[in-house]
Amino acid sequence: MPVSRFPFVSRRDFLAGTAAGAAALGVGGSLRPARAAQPLKVGLLLPLSGSLAREGQSCKRGADVTPALMADLGMPVQLMIADTETNLDTARTRAEKLIADGAEVLIGAFESAQTLAVAQVCEQRGVPLVINIAAAPNITEQGFKTVFRNFPTAPRLVTEGLALMKEMFKTSGTTPSKAVFMHNNDTFGTAMAGAVGKLFPTLEMPFPIVETISYDGAARDLAVEVGKAKATGADLLILVAHGEDSIKVIREMVKQRFEPKAVVSPGSPGMYEVQFYKTLGKYADYSLTNLPWINPHTKMSQALLTAFGKAYPDALFEMNVGFTFEAILIAADAARRAGSTNPKALLDVLPTTNIADHVMIGGPIVFDAKGQNTNTRSATIQNFGGRPKVVFPAEAAEARVVFPAPGWQQRG
Amino acid sequence: MRRRIALLALLSAFVLAPLAAGPYLLSVLVVVMYMAYLGQAWNIMMGFAGQLSLGHSLYGGLGAYVTAALFVNWGVPAVLGLPAGIAVAVAAGAVVGALGFRFGVKGVYFALLTIAFAEFTRVLFEHIPSLGGTGGLFLPVGSRDGVDLLRLRGHPLMFYYLILAMAVGAFLLCRRLLACRIGYQWLAVREDQEAAQALGINVFRAKLAAVMLSAGLTAAGGVFFAFYYNTLFPTQAFGMGRSIDIILAPIVGGLGTLFGPILGALILTPLGELITWGTEALGFKAAGLKQLCYGLSLLAIVKFLPDGVWPWLRRRIGFDPADDEEEGT
Repeated sequence: MPVSRFPFVSRRDFLAGTAAGAAALGVGGSLRPARAAQPLKVGLLLPLSGSLAREGQSCKRGADVTPALMADLGMPVQLMIADTETNLDTARTRAEKLIADGAEVLIGAFESAQTLAVAQVCEQRGVPLVINIAAAPNITEQGFKTVFRNFPTAPRLVTEGLALMKEMFKTSGTTPSKAVFMHNNDTFGTAMAGAVGKLFPTLEMPFPIVETISYDGAARDLAVEVGKAKATGADLLILVAHGEDSIKVIREMVKQRFEPKAVVSPGSPGMYEVQFYKTLGKYADYSLTNLPWINPHTKMSQALLTAFGKAYPDALFEMNVGFTFEAILIAADAARRAGSTNPKALLDVLPTTNIADHVMIGGPIVFDAKGQNTNTRSATIQNFGGRPKVVFPAEAAEARVVFPAPGWQQRG
Repeated sequence: MRRRIALLALLSAFVLAPLAAGPYLLSVLVVVMYMAYLGQAWNIMMGFAGQLSLGHSLYGGLGAYVTAALFVNWGVPAVLGLPAGIAVAVAAGAVVGALGFRFGVKGVYFALLTIAFAEFTRVLFEHIPSLGGTGGLFLPVGSRDGVDLLRLRGHPLMFYYLILAMAVGAFLLCRRLLACRIGYQWLAVREDQEAAQALGINVFRAKLAAVMLSAGLTAAGGVFFAFYYNTLFPTQAFGMGRSIDIILAPIVGGLGTLFGPILGALILTPLGELITWGTEALGFKAAGLKQLCYGLSLLAIVKFLPDGVWPWLRRRIGFDPADDEEEGT
């Protein structure tokens, strides 16, 4: 069953729950329902085609179900969706076009380079940009006054990804003796490898990385690389992969009977994607990924999951969905508090954003002086029966972590 | 004469465009001029000298990275870093050209060589941490209100007039070159290399000059790109996609013609915007539809106007055939 199905929560529950939660927490009354106001025109920039189309489409699915939920909260929004085509030139012109067409706030753009291009347009035009996903730290180091990011920076992602491993070992009472690190040699994989190499020594991890193996994700099979990893005798595999190559790695591990205590990703996609579950079946289970994820226990997230499940019964709820929803929530909340949809009025109130009841794991959404939300937190998700479940942190957990994972042949 | 008047009218339209164009249209025009400029630079190599380069992003990327790195790490203003960026790109062009031409690598094999250089340079830059590696090199954005031509920081209008000046400059330079000895040599080499050699033309030198000049001009375009967008990623700067972007305008406009790259850019960028507008207006919101329509439009242009739009248009509007000689066609 997809993670998104929470049929017991209605939009009415969602409305009542979030309003009550907001009132109880005293977060400036930002989520109290009120009479419908003029809809906020939200320009959403996503890579709906091109090399990042899969991720962009995933974000869009989150955006598609959001207006109805916002309307229930008395924060009507009108989405104006534009495709950046995973192209810098297009991202910039689309941003200009959205503003010319009346967008009062922009949201996007999933990828750092495109986001910075959009940010410059927003800064020039005095229109707020709420970043749904983009991890390059430099974006919020530019001194922009119009940019607000509700997503962790890349170093923070990796630091938390590694720190969560320590927490898992502590809780389970089992610590691996040594790890082998395998990563795709593409842009993302190499960047992640660089960050792991830099941060790992500073985090006092309870095990060493005995070997780092980079591989070509487009290779027909990864027998040599997996064989090399097995030969290290490591009892933990840290894997940075995408969907297709994560499947190749696991298949080869099964074939070669390489059975470390766990396969864990410090923050890459791949092991929580639909194709991974469909292709590997029981072998997809027990893989672990550390990354920002939805907190399935809040009223708001349950309503979002329900709406998402109804709209997209075959799609898996991903991080992209949650962060895109939250970006729209931040913009709508600003419009509510400002009592206006004017971009300047939004900019006046966005720095004082304080949203306690939201959907992603972490503290209240607040922005520091640079426009960065420092309260985002990563979670550990583990695969069970063809879907990811949160196992850490405890307050968001849906299941207990299984570590060490059962051997390949011991799985039902 | 008629052509000069038409060109002056077009130039005047571009100079005055910001008076009527809003920021959106201005950003589209910047991309048009940028593509026209790069297309003109590539046209020297392929259109005039007949050497197919499918890895031209190499030169733009090198110019961009060198100048941006000097600016980010040592505060060297863009205008002072520009010669260094151009020098590195020209040197790279010389290496590619010398390797190819000395060993008789021709046609598609030479094109493969250019792709190979662009690709391994991309991989190399992905592994240089001081240039951001795969995480990208970010330039400090700074003020966008003023006009600082020395550091290339300022208002989008400044960038528009800068790229317009670059496009006009490249056009005039190419026009001048075609009327010079080297221009005739390029055309001779393009038409029949053996015959050109038999006539006493130093083919190696002529081809190398085309590559180096084209590389230098492309590098300057790369510098513009770096300081306009303020981000550089190896995949984006040296990628195959960028190389294809560079060659589309001259191919569509008319290979080997002076006005072809400009016309091609004037067709392609607005065509993309028009398709987006049209599909949205008709209520079609499927992602990728624009690319599909764009691809079909390109197919139609290539099918029905294989020499490009400008040679066809020139015949239709009855420009003096004598002008053809100036265009190397």
